[in-house]
Amino acid sequence: MRTSLFIGIILLAGCSAGIIHGLVNLVLVEPYLDKAIGIENQHMFASGEAKDNPQFWAEYYSYRAWQKGGQLLSGAILGMSIGSLYGIVFGYSRNILPGNSFAKKALALAAIMWITLYLIPFAKYPANPPTVGDPATIVLRETLYVAFIAISGFGALGFYQIYKRLKSRKMVAFIGYAGLMGAAFALMPQNPDVITTSMDLVNGFRAVSIVGVSAFWLSLGLILGVLWQKLQPDKVKQSKFQ
Amino acid sequence: MSLSKEITISKSSVPKVALLVLATIFAFGVFEVGFDQGQLFSIAFGDQAYADMYIHELTHDMRHAAGFPCH
Ligand SMILES: [Zn+2]
Repeated sequence: MRTSLFIGIILLAGCSAGIIHGLVNLVLVEPYLDKAIGIENQHMFASGEAKDNPQFWAEYYSYRAWQKGGQLLSGAILGMSIGSLYGIVFGYSRNILPGNSFAKKALALAAIMWITLYLIPFAKYPANPPTVGDPATIVLRETLYVAFIAISGFGALGFYQIYKRLKSRKMVAFIGYAGLMGAAFALMPQNPDVITTSMDLVNGFRAVSIVGVSAFWLSLGLILGVLWQKLQPDKVKQSKFQ
Repeated sequence: MSLSKEITISKSSVPKVALLVLATIFAFGVFEVGFDQGQLFSIAFGDQAYADMYIHELTHDMRHAAGFPCH
């Protein structure tokens, strides 16, 4: 494996997919964030925490511009970071993944990781727009979220090991994973925060959030697959080793 | 015919260096976008960083959109 090419295409794929994610968010998710933060502003005016004057709005628009610009930059950072994890797993699993080309294998892995690391955790701890989260419970919520993703990810790895060893009735491994996730679902505490804002806003936000993250995983799989297929970082001239 | 003709083979192992680099980028990036509340800049700017939370503000919208817990 050519180390720098391997790292390079993974980061390039992650960065591009992350920027796509950021762009999708700018178009689809930002309107919901503006709405949610608008509700927060109204609460602050009502409670006297802030005054509804030009100075407030000047500050508000300047930091919202900073936050919106951040979508692209943090998309790139998060993309390279998740892409790195994906690239490591792809490096180890590419020969056993289903598909008759690296492009198809890359998509297959992206689908598996999208489901185990995002969709299933989302079902238990869905994304929330601003105004929902209670700052007092942030550490608990972060711990639960990370723990659930870890259970799902390591669970999938563990049951894959079992799947490999099973000679027949390989379905048992899938049932085992489903059982593990069902137990985690039932046993782990709910998000403690009560939603007081409109469910329309929350559900609309969740829908576009899923679209964004799904666009990310799809782009990541497509881009890495194409790059890998074209540049083949694992092909080395055999003469080097003689 | 030359002995060093270019036969390509698929070498399976992931290089250790690549593993280290990618794992570091993974941990750092997820922390910055998903969890930082001023920790990174506090290295340079001390406690003020926790009040300013520049990274938090910058990554804030992505944090919500990507499903990380926030406010
Ligand atoms: Zn927030």
